[in-house]
Amino acid sequence: MIPTSDFLILGAMLFCIGIFGVILRRNALIILMSIELMLNAANLTFLAFARAMHDGKGQVFAFFIIAVAAAEAAVGLALVVGIFRNRRSVNVDELTLMKH
Amino acid sequence: MIALLLAPTAQLVDPSAMSDINLPRVIFWIFALFTILGAISTLMRKNDIAAVMSLVFTFFMLAGVYTFLSAHFIAVLQVLVYAGAIMVLFIFVVMVLNRDESEPWVWRGLAGKALFGVLPLLPLCYFLCTYLRDMPTKHPDAPDAAFGTVAQVGQLLFTDYLFSFEVVSVLLIIAVIAAVVVARSAKSNERDHQPADGAAPLPGHRFGEPQTGTSYASNAVPTPPGSGGGPSPGHGPALQAQGRPGPH
Repeated sequence: MIPTSDFLILGAMLFCIGIFGVILRRNALIILMSIELMLNAANLTFLAFARAMHDGKGQVFAFFIIAVAAAEAAVGLALVVGIFRNRRSVNVDELTLMKH
Repeated sequence: MIALLLAPTAQLVDPSAMSDINLPRVIFWIFALFTILGAISTLMRKNDIAAVMSLVFTFFMLAGVYTFLSAHFIAVLQVLVYAGAIMVLFIFVVMVLNRDESEPWVWRGLAGKALFGVLPLLPLCYFLCTYLRDMPTKHPDAPDAAFGTVAQVGQLLFTDYLFSFEVVSVLLIIAVIAAVVVARSAKSNERDHQPADGAAPLPGHRFGEPQTGTSYASNAVPTPPGSGGGPSPGHGPALQAQGRPGPH
């Protein structure tokens, strides 16, 4: 049987890749995709602990995370479309309206 | 970045738990390798469509990883909801934007972000992985065959977590309504600022097509709008001001 730590390491690496994407990319779409990656890393960790504890509650929480991620993607993409229609750009460095 | 992320894995997986190498573990690490490569490819792509496709590939590989965790229901949901619904949503938005990136990577302020963001993150990744490597497995034996099936997850979902389940459905409805409101407000603003020649935009003409017809008909006949079949004049602006933010 595969040890639980392998799944946890994979989840940690996915989460770190997501953080790198949020920090280093300027496209709002890519940032949303990185957030989806991080949510999936959390999902993987929940499932790994669910199997390690022989407890089905972790899988229920993974289900809830998927639902919340769907809601987050819908609202986030609507925001991106709205920002693009107003500012003609999805570069998050140019969204400095509150600075001036 | 690839070297930085992949270099620790060789020495991370090797030392302590490498005593038992079996076929499922090898297959799992092949899936994991493809997952990580897909995730990195998502971030490195300049083309948005290619990035979305890399993410779809990543999610398929993650669904394969979930089956190793005997989470069959979640694996199916991963393919259906993530790789199906959410990624189609991303594709739609990429097509709507249809724009090349002028500055895909951050160059402005890169030194500060590298100093305060990336450099502290690298030891975080490393120590996270080394800490998780020594995580003991509480039940080393595999769970029974019913673990993770639709029946088991559904039974938990509709008994212990029934309220949360209903709250999630309400949350999804709220998200759909919010997405519609946010995504169409800007378009409606543009339409309000460029009225057709002569015809002033009437209040409330956006909220239904039959209302549009009656309001234009009542505009053609010079009668006060309260007496005709048009919308009440005080009702429309209130709805407008409530439904969407102003252009400035």
